[in-house]
Amino acid sequence: MQQTPDQQVHNLIRGAGKARGERGRAKMDIVESKQISEPIKSEAQISHLALDIGGSLIKLVYFSTNNDSSSSSSSSSSSSSSKDSVAVSSGNEGRPVLEGKLHFAKFETAKINDCIDFIRSKQLRLSGFQKHGAPAGEKCTIKKATGGGAYKYADLFKEKLGICLDKEDEMDCLVAGSNFLLKAVHTEAFAYIDGQKEFVQIDHDDLYPYMLVNIGSGVSMIKVDGPGKFERVSGTNVGGGTFWGLGRLLTKCKSFDELLELSHRGNNRVIDMLVGDIYGGMDYTKIGLSSTTIASSFGKAISDNKELEDYKPEDISRSLLRMISNNIGQISYLNALRFGLKRIFFAGFFIRGHAYTMDTIAVAVHFWSKGEAKAMFLKHEGFLGALGSFMSYEKHGFLNLKVHQLVQQSPVDASRGEDKIHDPPNGELNENQSIDCSICLS
Amino acid sequence: MASLTEDPVLGINDIKEREEENEKGKTQVVKTEEVGQSERDMASATGNSIHRSGSRPQLDLSKAAIQGNFEERDPTILLPNQSDDLSHLALDIGGSLIKLVYFSRHEDQSIDDKRKKTLKERLGISNGNRRSYPILGGRLHFVKFETNKINECLDFIYSKQLHRGGMDARIWNPDAPTNENAVIKATGGGAYKFADLFKERLGVSLDKEDEMNCLVSGANFLLKAIRHEAFTHMEGHKEFVQIDQNELFPYLLVNIGSGVSMIKVDGDGKFQRISGTNVGGGTYWGLGRLLTKCKSFDELLELSQLGDNRTIDMLVGDIYGGMDYSKIGLSASTIASSFGKAISENKELEDYSPEDISLSLLRMISYNIGQISYLNALRFGLKRIFFGGFFIRGHAYTMDTISFAVQFWSKGDAQAMFLRHEGFLGALGAFMSYEKHGLDDLMVHHLVERFPMGAPYTGGKIHGPPLGDLNEKISWMEKFVRKGTEITAPVPMAPPGTTGLGGFEVPSSKGGTLRSDASALNIGVLHLVPTLEVFPLLADPKTYEPNTIDLSDHGELEYWFTVLSEHLPDLVDKAVASEGGTDDAKRRGDAFARAFSAHLARLMEEPAAYGKLGLANLLELREECLREFQFVDAYRSIKQRENEASIAVFADLLMELDSMTEETRLLTLIEGVLAANIFDWGSRACVDLYHKGTIIEIYRMSRNKMQRPWRVDDFDVFKERMLGSGDKKPHPHKRALLFVDNTGADVILGMLPLARELLRRGTEVVLVANSLPALNDVTAMELPEIVAEGAKHCDILRRAAEAGGLLVDAMVSTLDDSKGNSSSVPLMVVENGCGSPCIDLRQVSSELAAAAKEADLIILEGMGRALHTNFNARFKCDALKLAMVKNQRLAEKLIKGNIYDCVCRYEPLS
Repeated sequence: MQQTPDQQVHNLIRGAGKARGERGRAKMDIVESKQISEPIKSEAQISHLALDIGGSLIKLVYFSTNNDSSSSSSSSSSSSSSKDSVAVSSGNEGRPVLEGKLHFAKFETAKINDCIDFIRSKQLRLSGFQKHGAPAGEKCTIKKATGGGAYKYADLFKEKLGICLDKEDEMDCLVAGSNFLLKAVHTEAFAYIDGQKEFVQIDHDDLYPYMLVNIGSGVSMIKVDGPGKFERVSGTNVGGGTFWGLGRLLTKCKSFDELLELSHRGNNRVIDMLVGDIYGGMDYTKIGLSSTTIASSFGKAISDNKELEDYKPEDISRSLLRMISNNIGQISYLNALRFGLKRIFFAGFFIRGHAYTMDTIAVAVHFWSKGEAKAMFLKHEGFLGALGSFMSYEKHGFLNLKVHQLVQQSPVDASRGEDKIHDPPNGELNENQSIDCSICLS
Repeated sequence: MASLTEDPVLGINDIKEREEENEKGKTQVVKTEEVGQSERDMASATGNSIHRSGSRPQLDLSKAAIQGNFEERDPTILLPNQSDDLSHLALDIGGSLIKLVYFSRHEDQSIDDKRKKTLKERLGISNGNRRSYPILGGRLHFVKFETNKINECLDFIYSKQLHRGGMDARIWNPDAPTNENAVIKATGGGAYKFADLFKERLGVSLDKEDEMNCLVSGANFLLKAIRHEAFTHMEGHKEFVQIDQNELFPYLLVNIGSGVSMIKVDGDGKFQRISGTNVGGGTYWGLGRLLTKCKSFDELLELSQLGDNRTIDMLVGDIYGGMDYSKIGLSASTIASSFGKAISENKELEDYSPEDISLSLLRMISYNIGQISYLNALRFGLKRIFFGGFFIRGHAYTMDTISFAVQFWSKGDAQAMFLRHEGFLGALGAFMSYEKHGLDDLMVHHLVERFPMGAPYTGGKIHGPPLGDLNEKISWMEKFVRKGTEITAPVPMAPPGTTGLGGFEVPSSKGGTLRSDASALNIGVLHLVPTLEVFPLLADPKTYEPNTIDLSDHGELEYWFTVLSEHLPDLVDKAVASEGGTDDAKRRGDAFARAFSAHLARLMEEPAAYGKLGLANLLELREECLREFQFVDAYRSIKQRENEASIAVFADLLMELDSMTEETRLLTLIEGVLAANIFDWGSRACVDLYHKGTIIEIYRMSRNKMQRPWRVDDFDVFKERMLGSGDKKPHPHKRALLFVDNTGADVILGMLPLARELLRRGTEVVLVANSLPALNDVTAMELPEIVAEGAKHCDILRRAAEAGGLLVDAMVSTLDDSKGNSSSVPLMVVENGCGSPCIDLRQVSSELAAAAKEADLIILEGMGRALHTNFNARFKCDALKLAMVKNQRLAEKLIKGNIYDCVCRYEPLS
């Protein structure tokens, strides 16, 4: 933490928040669990695992060294980068620097054994730090973890992998992860304008303050003023859990993704009461409402003689998604307004890169702010917690993390700017999601 | 899209112009937008400021003068010009409810009066728009029907001829042609949908008024004109908030209909829809219907009372293993995610109880509305947020949740308030949109709210078919009795504050202790009495509170309810006897007793059901209830008997008084007032006394007991003001207002001799009496006769009465120079504008207000006027409060004394 700030390398200073967070147990069935798509080269050295164990998903962030870099985490003397590091800075003289990549992986919490097998196969458990106070005979590697499951599955990890989970506060992790990404990764943030993704370059000096809206089961709205400086200013209980909970009751969908998928094919006008329905097809222009504006979500379900079975699950899902996304967008904007925050970043499992969701949120923010405020999304939105948890190694002085921003591998995403709203959900991170970086062990 | 500023309906003062442009406005609005692009539009736009002209045409009083051929009917009436061309009905036709506001006038009982004319001249009241019986003025009725029973509504309108300007219109102006092209103001979506139906069935056209305009003008009217309109509702506790008219604006009006509109109101006709949300009442009912199969909104709402949202909502404690996440200020019971538990369990929709679903949904939506409302209020620095609309309908839990959200997010800075007439904002606003509705000029003191006999039963519920005549009312009442439900078995009371509805963070709430409509506020009939005024001699009208006893104290409430209940049989006897004891009278008496008991039971259960409750309101309610069953004057025969008995000894009393020294006489006079005040049929103790002796016996006995010092005894100060000390002779008061109490001995042997003494000293005397009978209180109608009888025995009274125009026979000869007759200072009689044993000085007759202008002494007599009310009132002149306390509890409470203790409180103008 004694590094000087660098345009390309950011040193995260963590707040001193005490970890006692536990993540929601919201269950979310994931139809297909894609592991990281970049195959880990077998010869790569892998180390520094951190976890975010949520109610429905386990998110992993881990570091692997590049092929040609030789390192061993267990020996602090033997490592040095053989490659020129863009990121080398004066702060880590005499310390080992590892060049490599940060990888992101996720598993369904329900299939936690897959996750354990994965960790075992990658030998992620080996590269840790010995617990200081551990009895000599007990083999226990410490791994940082956040989320409710860090408590719930602590014993399982100990038993199966010999890993002790060191719990980090969830909110701390979210903010740390988000700060890291926004500073370190060029093409992290994007806006959604007219159904199109547009990556946004964030000036590091102009990042703070911003609003971070994390949409999990519920929604937390966090005002971030700087590294480790943040405050939960608001939230709403109408969040991802509401979408999935109500959606499940109404549609019998078996998974969140299935429900989300349905929404693509739906038409909310069947169920929502539009301004035009009230005013006989006329706009209520006087107050700026067009006839297609939703006056009352699910309002048509009142007057029809139809029962639940008579509505298509697709339409219900769409209506629900719009109601909740719109509401989150509105409340987020109103809170951003309170604090004069122009930028609102939305993250959390509810979004999962779903175009229609992002579009609805973006439109809500645009609409209510009359274009003054902008909704932005993060490419790694699901991994904020895990990343923050990973960052906490740094907090505790174990390592420094630097990112070679320019080296990020994906043939970046200008080509992806064409996403249409009605594309199938790109619920998973795309290939080349990993981030090139170097780690400086202290 | 027609932009707002182009909308020609706005900002128009001239009526004709307004009508023409209205047409233009409509055509502009019809433009629709392309569908594709607007798919993503949100629930509402901001920024369109709507400015409506605040200056509507003034009340047209041009024809308000008395017309010759109507003289006997005292036709001077509120807003006479309206009946020709306007109907007094406005509608708000919503998706689920039709709300009606209509205005009716009532035939006036005529009292003749030359006497009055003279009095008016004397008091300097210009003739014309004053009425003799203010309480019988116009009435504003609030009625609602379910939209799907629109035929009931049409029948109702037809039966009352409301579409023709009401029946009284034809009585009033029989020559006026029946208006074939009648137009009724209407708002709400149904104003379009049902336009043809109204045309076909009633032959009337609906004139559509802008919904938002109506909402705002309705809310502004209510907040200005009705004293206890707004209230807060926290944790099951309702508290009325008095809002200073000067500090009303700006405020946020949140109307929760199918969707939600948030309107910043800056003044009359000045407002702007700043926000809204599409998650509103329609969402609750729509989602609720899909999830629970409920058949009606009310059924769904009712279910929520029995629900436990914890089975479905994910709480913070569920996530953090029962621990609070106190770091960010969330307790374990905070809802983290509405319906969040429906995720993780393997339960299907059928496995959840509809009650729990309904509650969870209700909380989600109410809370969300509260939060968004607060955030918007914050943006504009608005401290007050008023919530209205059909979603709320007086439902305690909904209000609690919204209040909690506002309280929680604002950390107590902002306050959620609700309106008693919340469902009628739109209809009222539509009513206001008539050019000559006359409501603009009304002030708080012009309105009196009455709760008819149906109020305890129907509560906030939907109105059924109309009850027509008295007979129907009685039958209805009897039917209820036969059912043996509400009336005979009042719903058990839930002590206030124990509903446990703590709001969002306390999901342990159970609605079981609340009856479904327990919090449904009753809406009474609003009597419009433009002649009522604030008593000009009140030192501080703003802080004036008539009631001495605060009935929000539950013990106090219970006590007075018991007193009134116990007194009821005796009252019924008197009432029936006053109508000749016929079978019909008995039947009415029976119905009255039941209706009044039901009122009491209702109020016992929900003290705030009719607004803020004071003892004065209770006593007045009883009188109103009697009148409703056409007991015009229950004590008529008793009053007559007592008057006769008292007059018989009047001469003797005067002789006795005249033999005394000035000082002794003054004392004896005050003793006499106090002693005579024992004759009070409103007091249980006195009713018992009556059975033991004659009036005179009691009076003498009573006066002999009047030994000073009295419990409250300022007599010496008063005496000094009257007689001076030593050689210093004080100037007499210019004019004294004597608020008299009961008939018989009280007025004849008590107040009249005191009046005589004042007259003798050169002080003008105005006797102030009730406009309508209440118990055995003397009325302004009866007083002149009593004075005339007294005048037969006394020159002073006779000359003064002549000068005051009270002696009609004498006047005939002296009419021309009655004003110039300087032989005596005048004795006058004015009505106070009340029909209750108590008096609320915020609403008195214009006569009294006029008479007060030159008065420098006020004498309030009797428990009702000097103790129950006005005991703590301060005046801009000398005031003497005289009463005998005929109630042990009141004596203890008020003066730490005993029953029959006396109060002689003199408060000189300092």
